[in-house]
Amino acid sequence: MSETSTPTPATPTPATPTPTPTPALYPPDLLALCQERFGLDELDDQGPVVPRDRVLELAHALREELGFHHFVYCAAAHFLAEGEPGTEGFQPDRSLVAYRVRRLCRPDGRRGTDSFPFRLWVPTGESTPSLTAVWAGADWQEREQYDLVGTLFDGHPDLRRLMMPDDWPGHPLRRDYAIDTTHFPWR
Amino acid sequence: MSLPVPPAFPKRNLDVVTTTLVGGLRAPAHLVGLPRPDPHMDLEDYDPDADLMALNWGPQHPSTHGVLRVKVWLDGEVCVKAVPYLGYLHRGVEKLCEKLGYAQITPIVDKNDYVSPMMNELAINMAFEKLLDIEPSPRASWLRTILAEIQRVASHLLWLGTWGLDIGGAVGGGATIFMYCMRERERILDLFEELTGCRFHYNTHCVGGNRHDPPVGWDQHAKEVLASIAERSREYDQFLTNNAVFRARTVGVGVVDPVLAMELGVSGPILRASGIDADLRRDAPYLAYDQVELRVPVRTGGDNFARYEVRMAELLESIRIATLLLDGLPEGPLSSQKVVKLPAGIKSTSGRSAYACIESPRGELGTYVIANSDRKLAGQPYRCKIRPPSLHAMALIPYLCPGLTMSDMVVTVGCLDPILGEVDR
Repeated sequence: MSETSTPTPATPTPATPTPTPTPALYPPDLLALCQERFGLDELDDQGPVVPRDRVLELAHALREELGFHHFVYCAAAHFLAEGEPGTEGFQPDRSLVAYRVRRLCRPDGRRGTDSFPFRLWVPTGESTPSLTAVWAGADWQEREQYDLVGTLFDGHPDLRRLMMPDDWPGHPLRRDYAIDTTHFPWR
Repeated sequence: MSLPVPPAFPKRNLDVVTTTLVGGLRAPAHLVGLPRPDPHMDLEDYDPDADLMALNWGPQHPSTHGVLRVKVWLDGEVCVKAVPYLGYLHRGVEKLCEKLGYAQITPIVDKNDYVSPMMNELAINMAFEKLLDIEPSPRASWLRTILAEIQRVASHLLWLGTWGLDIGGAVGGGATIFMYCMRERERILDLFEELTGCRFHYNTHCVGGNRHDPPVGWDQHAKEVLASIAERSREYDQFLTNNAVFRARTVGVGVVDPVLAMELGVSGPILRASGIDADLRRDAPYLAYDQVELRVPVRTGGDNFARYEVRMAELLESIRIATLLLDGLPEGPLSSQKVVKLPAGIKSTSGRSAYACIESPRGELGTYVIANSDRKLAGQPYRCKIRPPSLHAMALIPYLCPGLTMSDMVVTVGCLDPILGEVDR
């Protein structure tokens, strides 16, 4: 076992509510990559919003330079348009695509794990670069998001439906997907 | 008649094999960079003279462990290309989660990974607690740890039994090991029934704590059950590990490259059997896991046999941890008494989000939740994405199957331990 692990207590002591110092959200090398090379701000626990044209570059840097080899998830959520076009605060019909990747050890070889979430906005009708070429695990996850939310991924090798039948009309997790019933909870 | 000579025992841990660094992480050198079949291969590129047979394996075949359909192209008996088709068990769980309140979702997700329902409840409630900023009481988090470990034992037992059925006659008539494993698992279900009143879909975790307090004498009963399972699992070990037929079917079959596995998002026992020393319980401790020292079993064979060894070692380790933790269950309330402020009205274009993950028997089971920023709908999530470990394990099928015979494919896919309920959701 590593030197850092605590020895086994004979009988475990109940958890005392001592405040443990929370580890920094972003390790220094990740922080440097995000701020200096990509100029990302809002580095909170929800992850930075990445411009679509730079996401492939970021993905390559994460994997090749920082060792983020482990793909965790890709999740998309649909948002309806807000406000009137041309007025202030207008938000078009769009999807949020959230990714998370993980590395299974610290940069200096110590045990531990860091995960890094990042997000991007995709207006409906446009597409976002697929990360399948970087992490093969994005293949099925992106297919699932395309199937359920209707987000388009550019450069995906095989963008077919994953869960629903091939001839299913519409994408069920979109907010404008109508379900013609009065019954709870589907109305 | 002479039985085949068992192959040499595979190298067992990272200290006795040559390792190479993958992004700072130690991985066995003999597994990194194995030839990787193209999952989107055009069959025209294969030998044009070959007489290929397309076979639909599933969705109703018992060896696919649920309703999985794999379209397989066979050259003789050897697989050339395998394409899995999912979705036969799609129930719209994520859509349903968007329409129900935070407290109503637990019994829905019980049915996702129907072999370890405790883990589903735990994962989704941990995400909700993170989103709503609730800390479960010490007694609840301690009890959750115990339940998770006991559930892991039950899940690995069921996997061993059904995998024994997949291997067939190799292990004493096929059904023998299945019967033994079901007998042991039944005792764990009795234990959970004593605690929650349900044998299978417990609905015992809730946001902020647990619903059922252990009855008097439950900890003693649990210790007896666990001790007897630990004793009997040694019999399975004697039954299988040195069985020549079992070794011939498993050693060197279905070898997984750890780098490919990480890229695909595979985690849990499959990754640890390929020599990656990673476990969320130890690396990112949650609940009461920081109170015990966890020994993480790692094997470097990368094949079916290594995965079997890892799961059997994990089973004993879970029994050890659960027995240890049963002694130290702290007193106090089971539920958090905190008043919850729903996360609506927080100025944000997308609503707040949270991700929580646990180490389920199959790997990293996580939930990504986005809160609803509409005040009227603040009681229910806007989007709830479940990250199932089995989906990523099944993504290995197109890479593992080419080159295997049909009978080895049954063993290898069974060894990935896919649960279609959580794959399709």
